[in-house]
Amino acid sequence: MRSLLQSDLLDQVRKAGLYVVLLFVTFLICFPLLWSLSTSLKPSTEIFATPPTLFPSEYSLEQYKSLIYGKDMYFVPGTTYRPKTSPPQHFLSWFANSIIVTFGSTLISVVVSTLAAYSLTRFRYWGRRFIPYFSLLGYMVPSIILVFPLFLVMVKLGLTNNLWSLVLGYVSISLPFCMWLMWAFFRGIPIELEEAALIDGASRFRVFYEIVLPMAAPGIIAAAIFSMIVAWNDYLFARIFINSIQKLPLTVGVMHFFEGVHVNWGLMMASAVMMTLPLAFLFMVVQRHLVAGFGAGAVKG
Amino acid sequence: MTDDKLHNDLTRRDLLTGTAVTAAGLAAAGSMLTRPSSARAQGKSGVVRVWGEPGPYAGVAVDGMNEWAQKNAPGLKFDIETIGWGSVYVKLMTDLAAGQPANLISVESPLAYQLMAEGLLEPVDDVIDRIGRDRMIEGTKWEYWGKWKGHQYVVPAHHQPHLLMVRMDIINELGLSNPDTWTWDDLLNAAKTIHEKKKMPGIALALGRNLCTAYHFAALLHSAGGRMFDVANKFEVVFDSPATVETLEFIDQLRPYMPKGATEYSFLQVVDSMVTGKAAMVFYWGRVYGRAAEEAPEIFKNIQSFNHARHPRTGNRYNWNDFQGWAIPKQNNPFINEVKEAVAYYQTKREWLIRYVHSLVPNVSPVYKDVASDPRLLEHPFFKTKKDTIMTYYVNSLKYASNTGNELLKGANPLAGIVHGRLILAQTVQKVILDNWTPAEAAKWGAQQLESVRKEHFRLVI
Amino acid sequence: MMAQGPRLPRLSDRQIGILFVIPFLVTAVVFMGYPVVQAIRMAFYSVNPLRPGHDTFIGLDNFYTIFDDPLFWDSFHQATVWTLSSIFLQTVIGVALALLLHVPLRGISVFRGLLLFPYIVPTVVIALIWQWMFNPEIGVVNYSLKSIGLIEENIYWLSTPTMAMASTVMLNVWKYTPFVIICVLAKLQTIPLELYDAAKVDGAGAWRRFADITLPQLKEVLIVVVVFRTIWTFNKFEEIYLLTKGGPGTSTFNLAIYSFEQSIANLRMGVGAATAVVMMVFLLLGSILYLRVFRFAEEEEA
Repeated sequence: MRSLLQSDLLDQVRKAGLYVVLLFVTFLICFPLLWSLSTSLKPSTEIFATPPTLFPSEYSLEQYKSLIYGKDMYFVPGTTYRPKTSPPQHFLSWFANSIIVTFGSTLISVVVSTLAAYSLTRFRYWGRRFIPYFSLLGYMVPSIILVFPLFLVMVKLGLTNNLWSLVLGYVSISLPFCMWLMWAFFRGIPIELEEAALIDGASRFRVFYEIVLPMAAPGIIAAAIFSMIVAWNDYLFARIFINSIQKLPLTVGVMHFFEGVHVNWGLMMASAVMMTLPLAFLFMVVQRHLVAGFGAGAVKG
Repeated sequence: MTDDKLHNDLTRRDLLTGTAVTAAGLAAAGSMLTRPSSARAQGKSGVVRVWGEPGPYAGVAVDGMNEWAQKNAPGLKFDIETIGWGSVYVKLMTDLAAGQPANLISVESPLAYQLMAEGLLEPVDDVIDRIGRDRMIEGTKWEYWGKWKGHQYVVPAHHQPHLLMVRMDIINELGLSNPDTWTWDDLLNAAKTIHEKKKMPGIALALGRNLCTAYHFAALLHSAGGRMFDVANKFEVVFDSPATVETLEFIDQLRPYMPKGATEYSFLQVVDSMVTGKAAMVFYWGRVYGRAAEEAPEIFKNIQSFNHARHPRTGNRYNWNDFQGWAIPKQNNPFINEVKEAVAYYQTKREWLIRYVHSLVPNVSPVYKDVASDPRLLEHPFFKTKKDTIMTYYVNSLKYASNTGNELLKGANPLAGIVHGRLILAQTVQKVILDNWTPAEAAKWGAQQLESVRKEHFRLVI
Repeated sequence: MMAQGPRLPRLSDRQIGILFVIPFLVTAVVFMGYPVVQAIRMAFYSVNPLRPGHDTFIGLDNFYTIFDDPLFWDSFHQATVWTLSSIFLQTVIGVALALLLHVPLRGISVFRGLLLFPYIVPTVVIALIWQWMFNPEIGVVNYSLKSIGLIEENIYWLSTPTMAMASTVMLNVWKYTPFVIICVLAKLQTIPLELYDAAKVDGAGAWRRFADITLPQLKEVLIVVVVFRTIWTFNKFEEIYLLTKGGPGTSTFNLAIYSFEQSIANLRMGVGAATAVVMMVFLLLGSILYLRVFRFAEEEEA
């Protein structure tokens, strides 16, 4: 029989062990983020120093300042003429565009897919068993081929060079999977709770809002994250559908720092950091609510 | 209990309100997101879409065009769209397929020839007349940029050669001869000596599956006297030749003195090797100087560029030259006249041409002799220390310029764009380097690929 | 109860159900269904993107072209190898990491956020960074490995066919395992703790608890995740193309890259579309088979 003290100690050791593993795994997986962070804090002259250093010998915020204040990117010595447009000027527009497009497409995907999935699992009508499988079709055709006819649709709708084309394009990618995810979740939510409430006189909408949605919350959050990443990450659609530099989202915009044969690593890395941390932070906050929503939940086995 | 009890009582007003709110929300969002797209008006107002490759110079040209617009067509704005080389083909195809190409594009000659032959471009003879038919630097002609079936379709923007770039401090330290006098054997010997004595790669070329490899290979092939197609003889494939075999052998001989990772190298990695001091020699365009000046001043001090090593038998020293120019897509383009005016405007204003060239010295070389001899050209800081190198890029390399769009300057070759798209040349090199085929086998394979291109697209060349 | 204005006829359950599903159907048909149909249609035509409006009907010729092309079969084979290894690694590592992240340690939310990083970074950006970090001569990875003493010579990550395949699999696994983690983690958080407590009281060890409680609960989510990840991985374009362009040679070609080359580089969009159709049929049959095998569509759960 172990004493209380011994099992406490064992517990501590176990916890410490887990932290070590977590730290190691996180370090490995997030190394590129660390490297980006480190490079973004170096002044331009140190970036290509050999041997490569993980910790900057000289910290500098010049890369971030360039992005925010739109410093001229092209290295032109002396008093040579500088072109009026230089990509970093548009960084904040790119950021705003990405946020608009991500938020818009996520909202639409999540709402539409949740409604559809609930409908498929709670109501009866012809074709409801087909619909999920039909929605898989889009994923089976590589997007490099699909982008052509989809672009033609956007042209017909007059949406080229318009952020709506991206919103709708991203919805078309994320919607089917979100629907599947919510479908899987709704199937796992027992119907008895709803039926009990309905018998008690609650309306369908109230049942949906007060009973079903909270239980499906983790699925909704997963679906939202998926949609956000689809929109945040896309390059192809944005490159094809959008022409003007100020309407581009971050992915395409930031690639302007890859000047063909020369990567402005300082700007690129600072951008990578700025593109990652907000979403990572958002997830950190959101998933806390995930747990809270479930700590007290009484879910049937 | 009837079903009715279980349903919500949706009233008509609820439904309408809901719909109205949603619609209003969408409309509001839509008006925030919607901005006027390029007007299909009668050329008086709107946005003129101009495509450029990555780099500052296209932006300078567009500034010049906007100066024209301010004076002559105030409703128009020229907007630069920088398309990376990886995306150019995809975006061009999609835009053309949808009938919405840009109004003016900057292209290198192989792609220009392909577009011309497909009938997609507007002739620009009138613009050339305005600019002045006799303005070209000695040794170069308008047609190198894009002449097809009697018409000129491209207005030259600049020319862009790649040269032998060398770390002179290492050359001098090892007592090697002046690179300007080298033959292929001397180059090989230098690479070997550097590798042995300094324990570093003597030379770095691109050997990956990409355009840089193709360009390096093409220059060497042309120096050896080889070509892909015989333009005068119905574009017969003449790639399977001793010259091709010789070129592949030469690259194979240089291989041990290149960085071991060269089989993945593309444009970026070749420049990296020079700027980080990992290789002593490269074949490259002038961009390296700008990058070295910014990131590695010590290296910048010591590099110099020369015309390529001569082929021992033919004596040729061809370089790949991009022959970059402006082309006007015909399709659905309401601004053709305005674009022609604007291009003619900035091309006849020497200040703009000088600014264009100064934006990336010495990568972007002037095309007109009055610009090349204008004293203001020398006002760029690099001229203090790199004058010889710069003038080699600008002028002295022109007589050795060649590319696959116009092989050995024997005639336009619209199939080159397709060959590059399919990376046939790069794959041929990789067959020798990676798959260990003999150069003869690889040449045969390459010739087969070229033959299939010729067959499929023959209507372009008849 | 809302009772303003005239009432609509009462909507039946069925009608509400259809109302809820209509937005989905409209969006899917217009933005997914129609383009897919067009893509399939292109497979039967000769389409040169530089000459729109000159499409000619050629029946099954495009299919004969690809079936006769050894590169098509190589690409198919390579795509399968790539997909299977990626999915296996993503699933195993994903479940393992989800379990690790499920432990209620203090500050676990920070780790959860950080481990999402690979999934958040756009592929175009990470491909560039990866190429720099893994540059055999000047990259930080080789440098670090050498300084710790793990390797003596530089590793050439992308220079040989095997290494290139391994590197692209590595990038793919690194990037998409967080996706598996999120889905599994979300499901893990719905498993009631009482089940585990009861099992502990009965004397079940950690592995028994995992195999008997966790795995069955995860079954449905994993089925969905594996199906989708397989379909997406098989179709992946950017991860491979940006890193290797399908090289060295054509050793990392998959069918998406083959399709792209045919369409854009060879100017034969019909052939590219035919490849896409073959991929679609293959994946469709595979998915149906897979879902049947796992008896996913059980009526008793609906």
